Amino acid sequence: MATECITNKKVLTKGNYAIAQAAVLAGCECYFGYPITPQSEIGEFMSGKMQELNRGYVSAESELAAINMVIGACSTGAKAMTSSSSCAVSLMQEGLSYATSDQLPVVLVSVMRGGPGLGNIYPSQGDYFQATKGGGNGDYKLIVLAPSTVQECVDLTYKAFYLAHKYRNPTVLLADGLLGQMMEPVEFKEYPYPEIDNSGWALTGAKGRSGRVIRSYAPLAEDQCVFLEKLYQKYKTIEENETEWEEIGTEDADIILVSFGSTSRNVKTAVKMCREKGIKAGILRPITLYPFPNNRLKELACIAKKFIVVEVNMGQMVNDVRLAVNGKVPVELIHKPVGAPPAPEEILDKIEELI
Amino acid sequence: MEKNFIIAGFGGQGVLLAGEVLATAFMLAGKHVTWYPSYGAEMRGGTVNCEVVAGDEEVSAVNKLETDFIVALNQASFDKFLKKIKKGGTMIANSTLVKELKTRTDMNYIFAPITKLAEELGNIKMANILALGIVAKASKMISLEHLIDALDRVLPPHRKNLLPLNIKALKIGYEYDLLPA
Repeated sequence: MATECITNKKVLTKGNYAIAQAAVLAGCECYFGYPITPQSEIGEFMSGKMQELNRGYVSAESELAAINMVIGACSTGAKAMTSSSSCAVSLMQEGLSYATSDQLPVVLVSVMRGGPGLGNIYPSQGDYFQATKGGGNGDYKLIVLAPSTVQECVDLTYKAFYLAHKYRNPTVLLADGLLGQMMEPVEFKEYPYPEIDNSGWALTGAKGRSGRVIRSYAPLAEDQCVFLEKLYQKYKTIEENETEWEEIGTEDADIILVSFGSTSRNVKTAVKMCREKGIKAGILRPITLYPFPNNRLKELACIAKKFIVVEVNMGQMVNDVRLAVNGKVPVELIHKPVGAPPAPEEILDKIEELI
Repeated sequence: MEKNFIIAGFGGQGVLLAGEVLATAFMLAGKHVTWYPSYGAEMRGGTVNCEVVAGDEEVSAVNKLETDFIVALNQASFDKFLKKIKKGGTMIANSTLVKELKTRTDMNYIFAPITKLAEELGNIKMANILALGIVAKASKMISLEHLIDALDRVLPPHRKNLLPLNIKALKIGYEYDLLPA
């Protein structure tokens, strides 16, 4: 068993390896993937470890194949995953739409790099839309978790497997090149979530029971209406129960910064610098990007005078913050197109310009 | 107080490994620490560097605008990073490969013949670890003991035979007279 890698002491680990090791400890039974920088270490780790543990590993011939292999494995109720990056996650969009409709517990690790197109291999947050809005067809949502430290890469990988199975919905761990490549001390604790019983729906062979079908096809209009209503009832439950965020210094803040992932670390430092200068700033960091902390942002819009979103893209999450705040207070954007997040000093300068 | 270190040199000089040993030593000393490599479409023979940020609180940002300590194992790294050193910061340069020029007066220079010292020890590949000894002495932020423990952790089993020589290199660096006459 993989218990050998559970440690109660800290180990200096690279983000990508941390995610891979956490997936193994979460009980991932099958990994299917195709290499791409900056997340190739995940597949590399899995290629050795999964074999050692007698679990499934396939280096797929393409990303399209990989996501469909995950769909196949998840149909049997197995814990299965793939990992990829930006332009290659684009190739998986059809599969994700199908997996959502099939209600399958697919886990996708998406380590963002520069885009659009082939872009480059530097860190980016340009796939916020890709993850939260999707490029697949139809009405669907993916649960999206955004780590900001290597320890969170571990903790949220555990959570991704749990939520995917609890709600039978594809779940994305949305990291970026910075987190994937950095090393930090982490603790690998035991998988903290209960195991979900998939025996009520999984395709496990029809011995002693009638056969089951998993498909995303409803030829009659009314059937599709019923299905979508049910699907969105599920999303409502997810929104009520699973929305997660972190807040620092918001209780008396005039300015609320909103930032996710690795960028939020720099923003936290900028907020500290603001406070030292007497600027009443606070930060709200969404940990789940879907479900998004809309209600909390709405509440804070009654206290704060201004929101400033900081992200490494041309401005994506800022749209969701604007929707949540609904015109109550101005929502500004500080951004960098691609690469390492703006330095705390640069963020501070821009904040001072904006207020 | 959060401090950051950049270790830079040619690909092959063991820059990333030295950073990993330093980061592990900080972890063992109970500090918060982050290691971040320069990565990109790198070429063989090009420069490579990594940044290590350590402190008593959760590490805020990597890719900092300014740096407290820079280890430059070759001339290109020295030239590239000199301007990035914080006022009062320290440049530790490998004088075997770097010209001893002091163009700035608001910071400290340490020139040590790191490659030559490693060669005298019998293995030129020890230059990176020898440099860490100098870092420990100059920064006063990390002990030799934590660096030795870190080496023991970071060296893979098939390289463990090199541990005694690495420890020797660390000590030579640590004992190197930082203020030569």
